[in-house]
Amino acid sequence: MAFTKNEIRVGLFIVVPLLILMLAILLKLGYSIAGATMDVYLKTDSITSIKKGTPIRIKGYQIGRVVEIKPVYKPALHFLATMRISRDIELYEDCTAIIQNQNIIGDPTIEFRNPERRGGPLLAGDVIEGIEVVNLEVLLGNVNTLVSNLSSTVSVIKQITVDSRQNLKSLVSNLAGSVSNLNAILTNSQKDLGSILSSFRETAKTMNEISIELKRHPMKFLFSGKKDSTE
Amino acid sequence: MGRDMDFTVIPGRTGRRVIGFWRDVLDFRDFLRSIITSFQSLRYIRLRSLYAIVVNQIRFTGIDALLFVILIALMIGGTVIIQASTNLPRFGIEGFLGNILVIIIARELGPLVTALIVISRSGSAMVTEIAVQKWSREILSMEIMGIDTRLYIVIPRVIASILSITSLIVIFDTVAFFGGYLISLTTIYIPADQFLQALLDAFSFKDLVSALIKSFTYGTLIPLIACYYGFLPRSKFEVPVYVSRAVIRTLFLIFVINAFISVIFYF
Repeated sequence: MAFTKNEIRVGLFIVVPLLILMLAILLKLGYSIAGATMDVYLKTDSITSIKKGTPIRIKGYQIGRVVEIKPVYKPALHFLATMRISRDIELYEDCTAIIQNQNIIGDPTIEFRNPERRGGPLLAGDVIEGIEVVNLEVLLGNVNTLVSNLSSTVSVIKQITVDSRQNLKSLVSNLAGSVSNLNAILTNSQKDLGSILSSFRETAKTMNEISIELKRHPMKFLFSGKKDSTE
Repeated sequence: MGRDMDFTVIPGRTGRRVIGFWRDVLDFRDFLRSIITSFQSLRYIRLRSLYAIVVNQIRFTGIDALLFVILIALMIGGTVIIQASTNLPRFGIEGFLGNILVIIIARELGPLVTALIVISRSGSAMVTEIAVQKWSREILSMEIMGIDTRLYIVIPRVIASILSITSLIVIFDTVAFFGGYLISLTTIYIPADQFLQALLDAFSFKDLVSALIKSFTYGTLIPLIACYYGFLPRSKFEVPVYVSRAVIRTLFLIFVINAFISVIFYF
């Protein structure tokens, strides 16, 4: 049965959109035309830690590798690392990708951690924000900054100490002057104390005489002044 | 007398228009009824001849309009994607790019622009073709031979239009999304997988059903109105009048139906 050119063109015109429609429905239903792996993306600000071939692990078990790293220039420079991971592992869309070192001098690795609250499954083409936990270069950089800050602080303290030495000297000499002044005051006060004491003695002597006189002639002592006043 | 005329002119004209419109509605209803009754004579007609008309009509309505539809879809898709991807980040909603594209292109612009192209291209052509057939007494000859002209002329065009518009809408949306994406790469970088995933996330089965209902409704109404006006001219001088009237009324009706379906599905 031969078809005319017109019929074939019309057939294609109907069939191709129908296939596109069916493909869209299948993709929406979660089916995939790819194999046992899927590609997801890791968004990271710098690629100092990761490189092509960096292993991807979950609970220490390797599930894939970084296959490509592409720069993205807009809106600000960042990088998208294509991670080819196994479909067999159950991963969720809110999972975190932690860029860390296997040990203190080991190669970097990307560790996947599933969220506590599990949402939808991680699908091919999803983008995950990378979190850098231990980056040796950044860590060393930070330590270097800390040491330089400490050194500058020590030099500032040294400078302050040198400046304060002169002030301390004058303070000590002022204190010595104050002590001598206090001594002089105390020395002067000793003379006055003697006269005060002798005055006290004189007063006591007088009081003694008065009391003797009072004992001998009490009436005379008491009323002698009155008599004089009446006179 | 002049004052009486002033008072009666406006209500008189309005009444005449309303009655005229109502008469048109009744005529159209009779036309639809005659098409439904024409199915009775389906057994007397050779399906092969209907098939040839359907194929020719799909070629004219769909394939011949394909280049035009692709060009318009590319331009609209590129414009929408560039505008959305450059302006959405200002409002902090760049994550809604897929949703914006599905809302604007798949839900509204795709079916509407395709219908506009089909109306202006094929609708007017159908009116003219049938009017010329009537003027040249081809339709009369067919009726004399016992062929049901409603069945022979209208039904294949309706089937062809439904298939053509559905295919054109799918092609329009696909080209607008992916062609537009390629155009937008000149101004902004979006990873292809990320773009496809955003589209799939935003796309829902409600959108699919809505697009299919729209394509079926437009595919039915456009040829029906065109054929109705095609049968009306009584002389060749009335042909342009009815062509213009058919195009304008179909356009108006399509906009109303588009709004009506969107309200039903998304409110």
